[in-house]
Amino acid sequence: MSKNIDLEQEGIEVKKSACYFCHQNCGVLAYVKDGKVLDIEGDPEFPTNQGGLCCRGNIALDHLDHPARINYPLKRVGKRGEGKWEQIPWDQAIQEIGAKLSKIRDDFGAEAVATAGGTQRTDDWARRRFMNQFGSPNGFHNSHLCWIPTFMVETAIYGWCPFELDMGNSRCLVLWGQNPGAAGMPEMHHITDFQAKGMKVIVIDPRFSETAAKADLWLPLRPGSDLALALAWINVIIYDGLFDQEFVANSCEGFGELADHVEEFTPEWAAPLTWLTPEQIRESAYMYAMNKPGNIQWGTSVDQIGKPAGSTMHARAILRAITGNLDVPGADLLTGPSPDFITDEEMEANDQLQDIQKTKQIGSDRFKLVTWPGYSRIAEETRKVWGKAPTAEWMCEAHPPSVFRAILTEKPYPVKALLVNATNPINSYGETKLVMEALQAVDFMITCDYWMTPTASLSDYVLPIAGALERPTITSTYGCSDFLLASQRAIQPMYERRNDYNFWRDLGLAVGQQGQWPWETVEDAYYHRIAPLGYDVSSYDEFVDRYRFHFPEREYSKYERQGFATPSGKVELYSTVLKDLGYPPLPPYIGPTENEVDHPVLAKEFPLVLTTGGGFMPYHHSEHFQIKDLRFLRHEPYMDINPATAAELFIEEGDWVWIETKRGRIKQKANLTEGIHPRVIYTQRGWWYPEREINLPELGGCLESNANILTSSADEDCDPYSGAWANRGLLCRVCKVEASDLKEEN
Amino acid sequence: MKNKHQGWGWMLAVDFFFAGMGGGMLVIAGIVELFIGEGRTSLVGNLLGPVFMCIGCIFLVFELGRPFQSWRVFMNPKAILTAGAWIMSVAIVVGLAYASFGLNPAWFGMEKLFWQDWNAARKFLSAVGLLTGLVVATYPGVLLSRHKGRPFWVGPGMITLFLLSSIVTGVAAQFLSGLLLPPVAFPGVMQALPALAGGLLFFQLVIWIGYIWVKRTGGTEAEAASAQRWIDGDISASFKSIVMLLGTIAPLILLLQSSLIAQAVGALLVLLGGVSIRCLVVRAGSDRTWLPGEQKYKNRLPFGDEAFLKAWNK
Amino acid sequence: MARYAMVLDTRRCIGCHSCTVACKVHNELPVDMIYNSVTTIGPTGIYPNLHMVNLPLLCMHCANPPCVDGCPTCASQKREDGVVFIEDKKCVGCLACVMACPYGARVPNHETGAVQKCDFCKDRLEVGKKPHCVNTCHQKARIFGDLDDETSDVYKLVHGENPARLLGELNTEPYVFYIY
Repeated sequence: MSKNIDLEQEGIEVKKSACYFCHQNCGVLAYVKDGKVLDIEGDPEFPTNQGGLCCRGNIALDHLDHPARINYPLKRVGKRGEGKWEQIPWDQAIQEIGAKLSKIRDDFGAEAVATAGGTQRTDDWARRRFMNQFGSPNGFHNSHLCWIPTFMVETAIYGWCPFELDMGNSRCLVLWGQNPGAAGMPEMHHITDFQAKGMKVIVIDPRFSETAAKADLWLPLRPGSDLALALAWINVIIYDGLFDQEFVANSCEGFGELADHVEEFTPEWAAPLTWLTPEQIRESAYMYAMNKPGNIQWGTSVDQIGKPAGSTMHARAILRAITGNLDVPGADLLTGPSPDFITDEEMEANDQLQDIQKTKQIGSDRFKLVTWPGYSRIAEETRKVWGKAPTAEWMCEAHPPSVFRAILTEKPYPVKALLVNATNPINSYGETKLVMEALQAVDFMITCDYWMTPTASLSDYVLPIAGALERPTITSTYGCSDFLLASQRAIQPMYERRNDYNFWRDLGLAVGQQGQWPWETVEDAYYHRIAPLGYDVSSYDEFVDRYRFHFPEREYSKYERQGFATPSGKVELYSTVLKDLGYPPLPPYIGPTENEVDHPVLAKEFPLVLTTGGGFMPYHHSEHFQIKDLRFLRHEPYMDINPATAAELFIEEGDWVWIETKRGRIKQKANLTEGIHPRVIYTQRGWWYPEREINLPELGGCLESNANILTSSADEDCDPYSGAWANRGLLCRVCKVEASDLKEEN
Repeated sequence: MKNKHQGWGWMLAVDFFFAGMGGGMLVIAGIVELFIGEGRTSLVGNLLGPVFMCIGCIFLVFELGRPFQSWRVFMNPKAILTAGAWIMSVAIVVGLAYASFGLNPAWFGMEKLFWQDWNAARKFLSAVGLLTGLVVATYPGVLLSRHKGRPFWVGPGMITLFLLSSIVTGVAAQFLSGLLLPPVAFPGVMQALPALAGGLLFFQLVIWIGYIWVKRTGGTEAEAASAQRWIDGDISASFKSIVMLLGTIAPLILLLQSSLIAQAVGALLVLLGGVSIRCLVVRAGSDRTWLPGEQKYKNRLPFGDEAFLKAWNK
Repeated sequence: MARYAMVLDTRRCIGCHSCTVACKVHNELPVDMIYNSVTTIGPTGIYPNLHMVNLPLLCMHCANPPCVDGCPTCASQKREDGVVFIEDKKCVGCLACVMACPYGARVPNHETGAVQKCDFCKDRLEVGKKPHCVNTCHQKARIFGDLDDETSDVYKLVHGENPARLLGELNTEPYVFYIY
């Protein structure tokens, strides 16, 4: 019984669309007739996915018209979280929200309005453009957990972040806390191809992940101990003479200080901290340093280890530099921003935010790197060399946990409104209890989403947003790459859904931003962005139809021509930018956020080490639990535990298990696996149960299995550089859920 | 889903039971008719044989996903199910025809039913009934034994077990029928049936123990695992208490008593044993020789009653 | 006449289940029906010396298909090009094939009463397309083609990589091959 849709029939148009269920944005061909999408498949011509689609990509049509989708603007009529809504027209919603925001600005200042995002699932430059003109510096995302601190540390060291790997010419790839086998399919198939041709793959991961299973070398380190490993690698590479002498001599500053600094960080020193052997550390350091050119692929895990995160990023950046694996063929490339098309940053209107408002950005007093102090310092350097700055939305944001605390404490000042767009903070931000309290306490909350999430349910207004197939997409690595991939919408938004761009634009116009939003549609804005590329097209859609990509000619070793975008023009192993911001110029050793050495008392009570936050198929973050075809494959949450540990705790395969940190406990089912150290526990992220009541108090079971109940966003657990909070390397304990507990819950 | 059957269920087992018992009854009737003498089995028994087979067919039809299409099962001459369907149809018709020779003309207000004189036909029908009955009694065993991927079934042992069980239930049913309506001719064979059943039960007991022992020790890993279910797994309790104790040993003892009541109870227990062993055999077949990783994969799938499966229906 | 076959390169398969979902979605299967599950073997060994293999399963399109032999209605058929399929209108749902298949490749549809299975997307083959599971596989772990065509990838892999067949001892002669 093959699907009975004749794709050869007359009147079918093939639209070059994109998947929008994670930010890989795989190319999708949509077969459209009479404004209806009949079928989709992976676009074989698309350079990343080459026709492939993961589980999520395949369910696009189910997602498009799912019965649980929000299709009309909703206004709360009952109590907060009671689930009573009135359907209202968009214009009314926008006018009412605009009036309320204006009132808050008048009463408390523009900074009393904050906005929360998820990861790049929106046109975030539009959000920034709105906020800048509104006058509030308090936009934020989950970006602290996802690459942004890495980007800023690395840009401080060598002037841009080398996210573009020249894997085709590489001989060794280090996947540092990344599992593309479950979270980055387009990347994984390239890795597999190159591995078959001889590229070595080192996977650094506490779990025997999908990717680790394919690696040439797997380093199962203690969660959160990445810094000790990185420092020991530097030690080996320097003291065993494996570094690139020419590159270090010509292009790096501070090598002598670095050599002195890491002298004590031997593999023997790192072994007990990382739970690896000195031999494993040496072997892996040799493998990376001796197989040149090589790559270190960034993974979210280092962004999520909390306290030692910033220093670890610094150490990892140093590894690339001292091995000369920067911007040369086969290495990690510094693309810089595009000189040709208009970048996200240029769309953000950052110059419209007054300096006085920048100083009010919440968290910028303590966490300086990805807030205005660090951003302005770094942007100043990149402008000198590249002529452009990194995207401010993402790279320059309020500190989310501090905003939630400000809502509750009114310190440093009251935050009265929260605009939530494309995120479900209850499940996706750290320390759920704090987030829950803040969301319930904030005076005015609106949520733009596809679904009635637990967060949306607590809102005053919920607005229906257009999703995959209903929106065009430009993919350019958070606006920081010199290339772009362009996709078009397959159909106009169904029902009364709107693009998030139009939400911000409409809201902007409602609060007096006339003249600032010349582009009526997303396509208009996108055309404005690509027009400088000089293609002979008269619309964005035409660009997609005829060209779809823009890849500038690749230039290696750009630093020979223009230097690095740092104060000295060289790679600053000894970072003056970090020093100026008040951070150590060389990476100091900092133990995992919670660990047995620094916190022996806590370790007695919570003897196991927790890691969480990793992606797993078929879900993305806290999404897709409503899609039955996906949910059927993994309908319950599972945590990983070593069989030996499970036996000690009388836990059997499939038992419900409590996982508890000092912040709270959740339950997931036990997956007994040898693929994890006997002292490590891994929990799945994101879980809530949309099939249950989404109103208070049940709220979709969002507290039951939600890993963020366990995570910490306390100031002292955050990375001092960026404020990134801690999902990994925390102390926990587990025990079996007794039958009586289960009954009570039901 | 796990709670919906992905294979044969109890109705097929009940079909096997009724068809096998009916077949067994035809076999007994045929043997007695051909080798001992006419009119020495009960008319009720002779009628019930084919009727039981019909009842079996009804269960079979309801086991189908599309009962109203059931006529299609006669279509593939190479398939064993098709062969079974044809032979059972013949057995039913022949069995009914043969039984009609024992009808009392007085019930129809006649002196004589005209065909009851056709002795050659009577002998022929009983012979055909015997042969087709034998096939019907055996064929579920043949069907199951050919399942390469079902470790508990595979191998010729199932044939013997089904044949034996069919015959012993057939004997018991003929005996019970004789109690309801004694055979017209004396001396009958009624008094010999309990002992015959007892002997067959003993035989069956030995063969079952042997079968499980051989599966446990002699076959593949999957076969050993399948046998383990009978020894101390999910099937063992029913097997030991209902099939072995209540369905085999207890009737063995009762049938060897001289009291007619004890024998009758014994014969009823034989039927209980017969239906329950078939249910267990069919259930044991739900285990395939699992492919690597398959069991864990299936165990993680929903049962079918999860809330998310019922939510968001358009 | 072609002889269709599929090679599954478990060295490439990462167990992402995309094939399962693509198949369900495009064949419009009820939520509880899966033609092509992907199981995971392991991790085997003792931490940290481990091994893990993902095993994509589907109909083996056997040369000696016990399901076709066992079907009393001739609904289960094997085409000359090797595709084993079910002619839905002839199926009575007796489940003989479900029981006969040693690979668990046949699934009863509780909505229609009939049995269904992977048919290599035969409707797509007719218009020169590959099965959905092959199309969607990022890892290119599923290689489909004509085994009679010496230039095809499946031919080269089957003759060059010494692939294995599942349950080869049953003499079903699967035309789905596994490279480990």
